[in-house]
Amino acid sequence: MLKKKICMVGQFGVGKTSLVRRFVDSIFDERYLSTIGVKIDRKDVCAGGTDLTLMLWDLAGEDDLAPLNMSHLRGASGYILVADGCRAATLSKARELQQRITKMLGPLPFVLVINKTDLRDHWEVQSADIQQYGWLTFETSAKEGTGVEEMFLALAARLTGDRAAIGKSAES
Amino acid sequence: MPTDGATKRSASDDQPLAELRAILLGPDREAWDTLRQRLDNPSRRAEDVAGVLAEAVRLRSDAKLRRALQPLLEEALQLSVQSNPRMLADALFPIFGKAIRKAITSELDSMLQSLSQTLEQSFSWRSLRWRWESFRTGKRYAEIVILRSLLYRVEQVFLIHRKTGLLLQHLAASTAEAKDPEMVSGMLTAIQDFVRDSVSGAESENLETIRMGETGVVLAYGPDAILAGFVRGVAPRNLTRLFQDTLDGIEEKKSAELHSFDGDTSEFEDCRLRLEACLVGQGKAEERRATSRAARALLFGTPVLLLLALAGWWIYSTAMERRWSNFEHRLSREPGIVLVSAEKRGGEYYISGLRDPLSADPGALLRAAELPANKAVFRWEEYHSLEPRFAAERRVEELKQELERRAFRFATGSAEVPPGQQFLLDDVAAQILALLRAAALVGKTVQVEVRGNHDPLGTEQFNAMLARSRAINVQAALISLGVPAARLRAVAEDRDHETCSAVSEEERLFCRSASFRVIGTP
Repeated sequence: MLKKKICMVGQFGVGKTSLVRRFVDSIFDERYLSTIGVKIDRKDVCAGGTDLTLMLWDLAGEDDLAPLNMSHLRGASGYILVADGCRAATLSKARELQQRITKMLGPLPFVLVINKTDLRDHWEVQSADIQQYGWLTFETSAKEGTGVEEMFLALAARLTGDRAAIGKSAES
Repeated sequence: MPTDGATKRSASDDQPLAELRAILLGPDREAWDTLRQRLDNPSRRAEDVAGVLAEAVRLRSDAKLRRALQPLLEEALQLSVQSNPRMLADALFPIFGKAIRKAITSELDSMLQSLSQTLEQSFSWRSLRWRWESFRTGKRYAEIVILRSLLYRVEQVFLIHRKTGLLLQHLAASTAEAKDPEMVSGMLTAIQDFVRDSVSGAESENLETIRMGETGVVLAYGPDAILAGFVRGVAPRNLTRLFQDTLDGIEEKKSAELHSFDGDTSEFEDCRLRLEACLVGQGKAEERRATSRAARALLFGTPVLLLLALAGWWIYSTAMERRWSNFEHRLSREPGIVLVSAEKRGGEYYISGLRDPLSADPGALLRAAELPANKAVFRWEEYHSLEPRFAAERRVEELKQELERRAFRFATGSAEVPPGQQFLLDDVAAQILALLRAAALVGKTVQVEVRGNHDPLGTEQFNAMLARSRAINVQAALISLGVPAARLRAVAEDRDHETCSAVSEEERLFCRSASFRVIGTP
């Protein structure tokens, strides 16, 4: 069985926890996030014929008062950058976090998730803003459940080096 | 100008010299140029030195070189420790880790030894058992004491990749309830980070124990892996050592796989056997507690029961002894009984003496005293007591027997007392009165039946009337002579009971009679 440590990072309130809540197995309470700053969930996926267990480290969101605890990122095989489509600042924060993580851990596979497609009318983030980075990006709605499975599958494909699956996910 | 000419000449002279030199030294000159270039170029020089450095150091392995290198090496090490202490710590861990553990083990050993000496002094049933176990297994006594005193069980073992927090292997005891071990493993790692961050601990410091109620977590650390065990009960100190030794073994064997781990846990399947050795335990705590309770109950209960039984037996036998002694006393005071000996042999009482037949029945006295009849063996010699009561009783008995020998004879078909027997009436009346008096003396009331009889001749009806009339006539005569009427009763002889069936006249004379029977009423 192949196992990978994946971290979910993003600014406070972008919906990281909601994003995984309906799609993962969990035994820990969400209070762990506010107490010890991390909650670990598990997601089993099959990418390119390989069974993969993603251990998702949902890290407490960064804000002005509490910086991201980088020590939790040690040993991660990849990460999920989460931003809120309704707040452009969260995308900048995602960019900043990506730079910090790359500086600390080197280039790691990751995907960008712009959450809250259900509130698309209120979006501040424009397609051009997203495309300027050239990252593999998914638009999701934690509330409606759209795009979440695809995002996990694409990340899994990146981790296992399944190029065909990556392309397919990106197109979709 | 001569000078000009000289210069010109010398220049023209040099030409052939240079040519000559070129002819003579041509090939060597190229080599010199190459050499000069090598000497002038520092990077070329470094390459040359690098090629021979190892050999040169080997050749010059004397104190001078060592002295020259010492400050350099020291400085380099210092710099390395300052910039990245972890690297050196990881490099030295396999040596120091073992050495430190060895030192601690030897220290613990000496402590165990002194503990052994102290324990040698103590003595109990349990210590005897442990001593036997120590002798049998070759382990030291103190070790057995510690082993047997602690109750615990390792329920789950987690082998965790240190850097990623991913679970490499997980084992659980059959009865243990295991929640998703993958998540537990990750959270355990996260909690360590959390604690380290919270107490501002250094990277090399580790969370050593976690305890919650009666469950604890034993943790052992290596450079690349963590071995964690969930333990129920009180874990002995040597459990941590077992975990550390197991982890060291795994780290040694799987060093390369742990370094390059990229999520494939199948490489660590063969560690399961080693990990199984960590699923140890010292019985089930509850069971042992129950057992020890039972043992304690047995230990304290048995003597108490024995004591109670002993006390019960003592109370019973004392009560019986007292009853026997009371009975003896009663017998010795009983009129008409002379107790000669009373002794206990083999659980039975042998009682012998003299006894007047009129005295109280010893068997009845025994039953009244609530003593078992089968435990008493009586041997009585009969005698006549001179007690006034017994003399009076004997007199009553004599008078009774005398009276019952008396009889009146009647003529055939007659109920009248014949005149020749009138004098007998006075005698009989006197006898009856004497009997009544004697009986009154011993507190008895007696009644005398006058029984009329008949011979077989004549009709049944007539004979019945005749027998009754004979009895009534004698009764009336006796009453007239002063015998109280209440003490006399006239009855006809019951035919079925005692039919006079005499055939000769002599015998028939006996049948035509009236006789007496004394009925005693207490």
